[in-house]
Amino acid sequence: MTTRQSAEAIEDEAADWLARIDRHGRTPELQAELEHWLAGDTRRRGALLQAEAAWNLLVGDFPVLEREDGGAPAPIASGMFSRRRLIVSGGAAALAASVAGGVLLIGRGEDYDTAIGEIRRVPLADGSVATINSDSRLSVALEAERRIVRLNEGEAWFQVAHDKARPFIAEAGRIRVRAVGTAFAVRRREDGKGSVGGAEILVTEGVVEAWADGAEGQAIRLTAGQRAFVADNAAVTGRADAPAEVTRALAWRAGQIDLAGESLAHALAEFNRYNGVKLVLTDRALANEPLYGVFRVDDPQGFADALHRGFDVPVKVEGNEIRIGG
Amino acid sequence: MEDRDRQARIAEWVTRTVLPCEHLVRAWLARSLVSQSDSDDLIQEAYCRLSNVEAFEQIARPDAFFFQTVRNLLLNHIRRARLVRIETVAELDELGLADNAPSPERVTGARRDLERVRACIADLPERCRRVFELRRIEGLSQREIAERLGVNENVVEYEVARGLKLVVKALRARGGDMADFSRAGAVR
Repeated sequence: MTTRQSAEAIEDEAADWLARIDRHGRTPELQAELEHWLAGDTRRRGALLQAEAAWNLLVGDFPVLEREDGGAPAPIASGMFSRRRLIVSGGAAALAASVAGGVLLIGRGEDYDTAIGEIRRVPLADGSVATINSDSRLSVALEAERRIVRLNEGEAWFQVAHDKARPFIAEAGRIRVRAVGTAFAVRRREDGKGSVGGAEILVTEGVVEAWADGAEGQAIRLTAGQRAFVADNAAVTGRADAPAEVTRALAWRAGQIDLAGESLAHALAEFNRYNGVKLVLTDRALANEPLYGVFRVDDPQGFADALHRGFDVPVKVEGNEIRIGG
Repeated sequence: MEDRDRQARIAEWVTRTVLPCEHLVRAWLARSLVSQSDSDDLIQEAYCRLSNVEAFEQIARPDAFFFQTVRNLLLNHIRRARLVRIETVAELDELGLADNAPSPERVTGARRDLERVRACIADLPERCRRVFELRRIEGLSQREIAERLGVNENVVEYEVARGLKLVVKALRARGGDMADFSRAGAVR
């Protein structure tokens, strides 16, 4: 276990930062250093905001007693939907999910479920770390002679602590991935229209072996920067040495969707993994349009705006759907 | 540059709308038997969430939004780890705390409260207070303050940081006071 910095210690550091910035101004060097500090722990951004607000109180000439509302509501650019409604409904959905899942899971300790839109980093007792993507179900069993993580649904990225005596095995349906000390991601996919179930494997460090249960003899070796899809029937497809692609496919670890030529249909499916508000393509002619850009997983509306601007396609919100194509 | 502008606007928005109710949320956490350090973590995480909200200016009730954010985080923590005792889950439901966001009246009261915190600047250590007065009232830079007070610029930077830390702590302490008050009320 690493020692976790206390909230109070972070607050103090944030105060030090503001004092420094107040003295020197936001020079590019200081800004870069600040960004580096912020990147070290997600809580730091919160502490900085808190400190800036306190700073306004101390130094700013602040009309605290005025304005009951939350600020001047800016007109909505497209006029077609309200950002606020999206935020609120997303929050409500997340809350409903967390309440529903809540009580049952306590005490089991080894099961980690994520709600839609939730990306969770879980340090395991052996020193490994599992980063679990949205809407996934993972269970962990660390035994004396082997470490088993079962991905029952969804996707996770594992940074495996080195331990030769205890191989680390990820199971996703029938698919098995074995590692000793390495980092790799597994995404479980179920049978779909015309496609067979299996697991996608992306290796970011070291080497892994992957196979379908019952076909261990046909195990494939994948090294850093490689990806492959192993089907439940042991067929291997899409095996490629593509480090940039692997990195892009794992952009969710930073809460992003990174598109470099993927189709619009693919992009919408990706966004819909993360949000209660669903993007629906009603203008099928656009389905194969290639897209480029980095987007936030939790901002489907920003993405819809970009489509609206880029393709001049009407965008309409109806209930829990954002319709592309009106 | 645009980023910077956004950061300034969101900080201003937080000062105006969220800081005044932070202590109420802390009091609620304390009533929910969340420990001081866990509640510090939750509040900090909630601020972090706030800093990521794109359309913050369009949130109708920032106080309720902040409360809801903290509450969601708490529920997530309950689900995930052993951050709070198991009974708390039941309590949360029993008390029907979903709609227990601070009312507008309470927030107005909280704003008055905040003015009082500002008044606590008067209680800062002498040199610290002097630095903030010069910074705020006369609008001097740290370098100018150093010249005026005849001290090293490092001393001024240190005092600025110290004052800020003391005020953040004063804001936090108000949550504790409120919690004690509420508990006393509940017993009676």
